[in-house]
Amino acid sequence: MSVQIEDAVQNPAPRIGKGGAPPPGRRRGTGRAAGKAPYLLLIPALAATAVFLGWPMVRNLVLSFQNLNMKQLIQHLTEWRGFGNYADILGGEQFWRVTVRTIVFTSVNVVLIMVLGVLIGLLLARLGKKMRLVLSVALVLTWAMPVIAATTVFQWLFDARYGIVNWVLDKLGWHSMAHYDWVGSQLSTFFVITVLIVWQSLPFVALNLYAATTTIPKELYEAARMDGAGTWKVFTSVTFPFLKPFFLATTFLEIIWVFKAFPQIFAINEGGPDRLTETLPIYAFTEGVGNLHFGMGAAISLLTIIVLLGMTAYYLRLTLKQEEDEA
Amino acid sequence: MKRSLLGRIWPNAAALVLALGFVFPVYWMFTTAFKPNGDIITEDPVWFPLHGTFEHFSTAVNAPNFWSLVGNSVTVTVLAVVFSLLIALCGSFAIARMRFKGRKGILLAFMVAQMAPWEVLVISIYMIVRDADMLNSLVPLTFFYMLMVLPFTLLTLRGYVAAVPKELEESAMVDGCTRTQAFVKVIFPLLAPGLMATSLFGFITAWNEFPLVLVLNKEPAKGTLPLWLSQFQSQFGDDWGATMAAASIFALPILVLFLFLQRKAVGGLTAGAVKG
Amino acid sequence: MKRGLIAATAVAGMLVSVAACGSSGSGSAGAESFKGKKLIVWVMDGSNPAQWTKQVAEDFKAKTGATVEFRVQQWNGIQQKLTTALSEDSPPDVVEIGNTQTAAYAKAGALAELGDLKKEIGKDWNESFNKASLVDGKQYALPWYAGNRVVMYNKKIWAQAGIKELPKTRSELFKAFDTIKQKTDAEPLYLPGQNWYFFDGLTIGTGADLVKKQGDKWVSNLGDPKVSKAMDIYKQYQAFSSAPKNKDEATPQQAEIFSKGKTGAIIAMGYEGPTAVKANPAIKDDIGFFPIPGETADKPEGVFLGGSNFAVAGGGQNQELAKEFLKVALSKKNDGQMVKEVGWSPKSPDLADAAKGNPAAEAAAPGAAKSSGTTPLIPEWAQVENTPNPIKNYMTAVLNGKAPADAAKDVEGEINKRLAQKQ
Repeated sequence: MSVQIEDAVQNPAPRIGKGGAPPPGRRRGTGRAAGKAPYLLLIPALAATAVFLGWPMVRNLVLSFQNLNMKQLIQHLTEWRGFGNYADILGGEQFWRVTVRTIVFTSVNVVLIMVLGVLIGLLLARLGKKMRLVLSVALVLTWAMPVIAATTVFQWLFDARYGIVNWVLDKLGWHSMAHYDWVGSQLSTFFVITVLIVWQSLPFVALNLYAATTTIPKELYEAARMDGAGTWKVFTSVTFPFLKPFFLATTFLEIIWVFKAFPQIFAINEGGPDRLTETLPIYAFTEGVGNLHFGMGAAISLLTIIVLLGMTAYYLRLTLKQEEDEA
Repeated sequence: MKRSLLGRIWPNAAALVLALGFVFPVYWMFTTAFKPNGDIITEDPVWFPLHGTFEHFSTAVNAPNFWSLVGNSVTVTVLAVVFSLLIALCGSFAIARMRFKGRKGILLAFMVAQMAPWEVLVISIYMIVRDADMLNSLVPLTFFYMLMVLPFTLLTLRGYVAAVPKELEESAMVDGCTRTQAFVKVIFPLLAPGLMATSLFGFITAWNEFPLVLVLNKEPAKGTLPLWLSQFQSQFGDDWGATMAAASIFALPILVLFLFLQRKAVGGLTAGAVKG
Repeated sequence: MKRGLIAATAVAGMLVSVAACGSSGSGSAGAESFKGKKLIVWVMDGSNPAQWTKQVAEDFKAKTGATVEFRVQQWNGIQQKLTTALSEDSPPDVVEIGNTQTAAYAKAGALAELGDLKKEIGKDWNESFNKASLVDGKQYALPWYAGNRVVMYNKKIWAQAGIKELPKTRSELFKAFDTIKQKTDAEPLYLPGQNWYFFDGLTIGTGADLVKKQGDKWVSNLGDPKVSKAMDIYKQYQAFSSAPKNKDEATPQQAEIFSKGKTGAIIAMGYEGPTAVKANPAIKDDIGFFPIPGETADKPEGVFLGGSNFAVAGGGQNQELAKEFLKVALSKKNDGQMVKEVGWSPKSPDLADAAKGNPAAEAAAPGAAKSSGTTPLIPEWAQVENTPNPIKNYMTAVLNGKAPADAAKDVEGEINKRLAQKQ
């Protein structure tokens, strides 16, 4: 399974007829102007997005200006609040604290996932056939485990009294850990969440990276080795440049996924202790759906998108710029 | 190429340790599903289910409406994935291969669409579906799940389409294929890994979805499997054994699909990478 | 506004039933007009025991000719599910709502008024059972069942420790725990740090109020010395246990821990006995119950009377039939069945007999009658208990050594925010 690895192997050289190919089976000949074809091809995707995402998003925007609680929902009342929800959120300390926390949390996780994922991917490339199969199967099993099951098992592994982690630490001689309360403080709760998220995300990065390395022409490696380059040097001079698009695309996806991680954080300690491990999506959910202040939740969710856009702006601009260069 | 003994041992040792680390939670899920209640929560972990029992599996499978929910889950998931693949394939072809006005804007829109806050959108979606009188139907679920995976599918396939060398297509046409034939015979096989990768992603996403189906389909027989899975965690404490048994059953289709597609995906990918 | 809505739907309901009568050509609103109809009743997972359910369905069918479908609801996400369901054109006809949640749903205009029905069938109900159904003096639900915590103990371990007599006061209870600690290898008490309803009971015992009025607003009263005193009692209890301070009694399920036979006692609801037996059938004969002893022997410890009400959805299509259902479901016979089958506390004096033979119900009865209470009965309160419940955080903080007043200050902001949230 792989994402946009192909960017890496994209053949930049011959691109006959910049107008692009006409749609399959419709028009013959390669006209420079594609005419209506691309629009026709895109209509289903655009229409579906407009109806099933655009419409709820507009509705969400409208709700963000309303006072919509249990009573208003049940009685189908509309009460406008203007910018009241936004004023409450932006005026309070909590939103800003949660935003900073979310950015730090996302960054730490993404870095860990990318670094460890690449290391495991490179390890896969280096292993013999049998061992590679063993590790791949382990990764695939991890990947396939349902989120709800994974979170349940992790809650349990780190349980203070009946958890295996504490049991092992205790047996290893670290007796003060015997009944250690992992979800008692902010940092240790984040530690558990991070282990869970990194564990769940690594297979994607590692397997993709491995698949991607197999597309690198062998000659490039041989040439580098002949120049006497060591492992690190080979990585920086061959692997990394060749797979740069892969790294960018994967990092982009991981940022989105980690940022949006919901069931993991919610299940481990529901954003606690004292709401200290709430990230923006949890905050939006707790305020909006959990406390039945749907207008407030809608406003937070829109602000959340802005933060996420900020975090991924670099990649978005880069991608658009590349498109420009190509065109 | 020669490597020292140490150089050969450490990668294997590291791989083994990693494999164990990754597998352990999965192993714990499966084994717990077979443990009798008394062996589940213990001061000293019970590593192997020595007194294996199928009791939890029968609890899980005998829950009311289980088979209707299986049917619903399969229907919704498969349709959502198929629709999103079809729609995305067309769209990705246009974006990867054609130049037209508004292309960048559309590309950006799909990238941003990946960021949609679905957990919170639930309430807007609910109000739309309620007002359209479509509650307790599989149709809205299918389409919303389709859209949850569409942006990713489209953007990923775009990469795969772009990677297919144009000459391949052209030479097939020189050989007398029509454009459709060229697409089916030459391009499509090269896209196979991409299609597999994205369908797997779509499958997992739709298969696991919980918050939306919770409010949209409240009639007991109209739900999907995640609702069933969550019922073993109750106010009066969790039925760990049944939860794990249900989770094992729930994971099974994904696992099978994974093991089946994974080989094809990676294999196909290497084949596709041989240029021209 | 909400009254208007309810009135409108009530009128609509009447029109429907009038029309039905007209077509059947008779004046009686009896079995004829309801025949063939189906009533949807939402009950929570674990609420409706098998025999009771069967009995009610049969009685209902016999009385009205209509059928009832019980839809068992899972706890996970129930608030979203119930709120949205009540906003629909055809909501469930009758819903079970936790007694601490009832006020909020009533205020939101979701529930039909049931004052006449209460007068008809509930004249002799214990006032503490009914209190939670009243909002501004109006009846928006009818109490279905309620129970309070008792001490569930392991007879074998207590015998091993040589304890002959069951404790009558708190200090005797603590002495017993001490004896168990010294003379056996069992844990005297399993009590996690966040058994919040036990704590609520203790505040009832010390006469504390969790909220107070400031101007026209409700605010947290957690810093009150009476609350601190209750928390101190909790801490003394908790000192006998090595249970996690940051978990509640459901994770892991305390009855399952108890079932292993290495726990002297738990503070439990009556229905937790069968849970323990299910996990380990061998424990069956070792389980005993007694009321949680209070400061003095004449009054048991304060207890939270937790339970559920039945409410009729204000927008329901079959409100008359729903009321017929309540008459059946809450009849003496069926209420008695709940007491007998699950061990709930008797709602009226006549039901005391039903409690005999169920040791859990018997142990619960004195507390329910003499010293029970609830959480603050204001519509805003339900929000405070929403996850993450700040009071649970308060409890954990105090158990971990923080001064009660400081811990109260830490969570006060959150509680006040929730109490002040717009409805």
